[in-house]
Amino acid sequence: MIARRIRLIAVLAITLVFLLAWVFPIVWSVLNSLKTDSDVLAYPPKLFFTPTLEPYRDVLFGSASILPNLISSFIISIGTTVITMLMAVPAAYALARLRFRGKKFAGFYVLATQMLPPVGIIIPYFLILRNIGWIDTYQGIILIYLSFSLPFAIWLLVSYFEDIPFEMEEAAYLDGASRMKTLWRIIIPQVRGGIAVTVVFVFLNAWNEFLFAVVLSGNTVRPVTVAMFNFISVEQTLWAKLAAVSVLAMLPVVILGIVAQKNIVKGLTVGAVKGGGRR
Amino acid sequence: MPGHAAAIPQGDLGRVLAQRERRFAAALLAPAFLALLATTTFPLLFLIGTSTFRMDLAMPFADGFVGLENYRTLLADDRFWSSLLVSLIYTGATVVLQVALGLALALLVMDMKRGQGWFRIIAILPVVLSPAVVGMIWRTFMLAPEFGIVDYLAINAGLGSKNWLGDPTLAMVSVVVIHTWQWTPFAFMVLLASLASLPEDIYEAARLDRASAWQRFRRITLPLLRPAIVMVVIMRTMVALTAFAAIFTVTGGGPGTATEILNLYAYRKSFTELSIGYGSALAVALLVVTILISGVLFALRRAK
Amino acid sequence: MSGRGQVRFEDIVKMHGEFAALKGVSFEIEPGEFFALLGPSGSGKSTTLRILAGLDAPSAGRVFIDGQDITAADARDRDIAMVFQSYALYPHMTVYENIAFPLEMARMSKAEIVPAVQEAARKVAIEHLLQRKPGQLSGGQQQRCALARAIVRKARLFLLDEPLSNLDAKLRLETRTELKKLQRSLGVTAVYVTHDQEEAMTLADRMAVFMAGEIQQIGRPADVFARPNSIDVAAFIGSPPMNLIPARYRDGGVEIAGHRLETSLKEAGERDVVVGIRPGAVRIAAGGIPAVVELVEDLGDTAILDLDCQGISIRARVSDGDVPREGTALSITARAADIHLFDATTRRRL
Repeated sequence: MIARRIRLIAVLAITLVFLLAWVFPIVWSVLNSLKTDSDVLAYPPKLFFTPTLEPYRDVLFGSASILPNLISSFIISIGTTVITMLMAVPAAYALARLRFRGKKFAGFYVLATQMLPPVGIIIPYFLILRNIGWIDTYQGIILIYLSFSLPFAIWLLVSYFEDIPFEMEEAAYLDGASRMKTLWRIIIPQVRGGIAVTVVFVFLNAWNEFLFAVVLSGNTVRPVTVAMFNFISVEQTLWAKLAAVSVLAMLPVVILGIVAQKNIVKGLTVGAVKGGGRR
Repeated sequence: MPGHAAAIPQGDLGRVLAQRERRFAAALLAPAFLALLATTTFPLLFLIGTSTFRMDLAMPFADGFVGLENYRTLLADDRFWSSLLVSLIYTGATVVLQVALGLALALLVMDMKRGQGWFRIIAILPVVLSPAVVGMIWRTFMLAPEFGIVDYLAINAGLGSKNWLGDPTLAMVSVVVIHTWQWTPFAFMVLLASLASLPEDIYEAARLDRASAWQRFRRITLPLLRPAIVMVVIMRTMVALTAFAAIFTVTGGGPGTATEILNLYAYRKSFTELSIGYGSALAVALLVVTILISGVLFALRRAK
Repeated sequence: MSGRGQVRFEDIVKMHGEFAALKGVSFEIEPGEFFALLGPSGSGKSTTLRILAGLDAPSAGRVFIDGQDITAADARDRDIAMVFQSYALYPHMTVYENIAFPLEMARMSKAEIVPAVQEAARKVAIEHLLQRKPGQLSGGQQQRCALARAIVRKARLFLLDEPLSNLDAKLRLETRTELKKLQRSLGVTAVYVTHDQEEAMTLADRMAVFMAGEIQQIGRPADVFARPNSIDVAAFIGSPPMNLIPARYRDGGVEIAGHRLETSLKEAGERDVVVGIRPGAVRIAAGGIPAVVELVEDLGDTAILDLDCQGISIRARVSDGDVPREGTALSITARAADIHLFDATTRRRL
């Protein structure tokens, strides 16, 4: 009985340490974003202080406003999501449900494209986009983002399409529906949930991307993950403002992550389960 | 009667139906596959092409076809070999730590009756964040000398203030810890999910067979969890090999080249030193390394 | 509506790679007929139905409906309605929308659709459920909804793929009767797939018995029951199944456990045969084959006896009045007309 209680306390202590370790850096950033610079730099670190919204006011509406960058991030993420979904939904349906020669290969190809290191994509595309003047444009970044968002979205959607019984299409065909009508009226309404989850993850991945953004962004198109660097330099770091920008950059994805909580494991492991498995 | 039907060419009938289905499939697949060809396969070929050129954005006058010279340079390049070593250390350390910690935690949390929900929500936070933001937070508020929390804890523990990102060894430890911090929840969530999907009754059967807790873990849990563990290892290895933001934002590959993984070297060569041709060769080398390692891992997965 | 819904299968072959799911199946269904495709799982009955529906394409052979070759026609152009085993109700639509869907696809106006849906729903007694979603219905109600969706369009053919298999035993019996009445009142041709021989016997006007990708026998259920034309059909039809006993035929009789039984086949000579006797045709009478009662399964109105006739097991069905006890020794016999003879090698009826 005592041994059991000791075990329980030990388990609780260990898990608590982990929970704290995961939450702390995030909470600490939030706290620092509500401090003045001198409070941030105080030693020992201040857990209690007079909170101020000054850093947020500065980074949003000050002279070096981050607002255009946030808008940039939104345009890139939403654009990527819309285009990805328009292409991925039909493709995933075909891969999941239709019979055609080379289907196995097509599925494998989608997976294999993810083997290519992003740096291997950005080098040639930097040259190409520079030649056609698409550096620092939304179309340039969104085009490249398809390289990772499409395979991901296709595989995630395939898993949802596969959950629908084949009889659904067969019943619809016998009821006189064309293939297109069947897809639109019978199948897509049944994967609405899966489509919503996919939208969340595609948006999230686009929002978080960094390598392509660093290479392709300029003065017009500069997502917030890149613009963060304005607040940190060799000469001077604007601590509180940097914290505020970090929190603003985290906010959308944290909200989306919690919204998609139940599907997060599926979203994170998509493709891998299928990869070398039964396909 | 039978002779009549035998006169019809075989398979002619189904072909019409199958052809309609094929055409529909092709129409649905075309946009996505054209986009994938354009954004992945085409750049790969282009990359292999540029890797056989001397292409220097700083000195365009010297550009030209050089055949395999970039690769010959690469094999004799100490910085390449050191970056490969850093890659392997970074990947090995982060993957092992993630899986070990994730598994241990999943086993602990598994039997928790209350508080599991909290764990699930909090575990989501790190993995949905941008590695760039994570890197930035750690570089400043966690690792900065004195007021950074890690340094503050080190001082209070009597270790004294350290130059966490300035010392080669400590910098390596730091980037490994940051990556592990962000992605252990991933291993934790996946392994917890597959632990939860294991059937209860086999544990009851094992208990009746008088297996001890350790035996139950070794003989039942671990073998049943193996596919999930291997999957996590494969996925995390692929990501660690091409990690960029989490190192770039923290150390930029430094001090010197202490944390410069191959991926970062290819980037720096191409976009900092503007030597695109050689950078391309490094990217191809990274692809080859990725394929080799994943080949080994997939073979491991298939074994047994 | 007669004259509509005539079906002809001509030498239909279906290959799945090397495996022949159907090995040349031919049959005809008359307009207005209730036709059952009966057989164990994997016998090809469902494949046959799917080829008729246009959901699968045959590897060879032709399918005709009303004299018209529809082998290469799309399912949607065949004017066929079907009830699936899983019902295949569209989960995101209400019952009303489910039933209206085929009419909508036929581009009917709303003014035509509303009364048609009402009428179909009334026929299967689900008018009060029209605004529900399929997920809120019981199994029986879902089945009715699937029926309504199939009959609303007045298609020329009505296909049913094991429509009762997901219902519990009591509901299954009730629905069976209603199904038959519904088909009669609509006068539509129905093709019914089932593995349950009792269902086929009670519902069908005629049935085709499938075994291993081939039709073994086509006929009225009573005829198939009375004169199964192979050992396999004999073993499949009837419950409990027919006793099948290897024996030696000699000059109009067979010898079982050292005792001779006269048969209706009068042919000189000797050969190896399999003797088939339905449990209900086994009579307890003196001077027959000696047997010992091993086990009694009492079903209430009848009882099944497991008999041991010197190493050969035989089952007999007796009425409730005179059930012998386990261990009793008795003697059994059968009338010549009740003895089926099959060739031991070709397995065909003699």
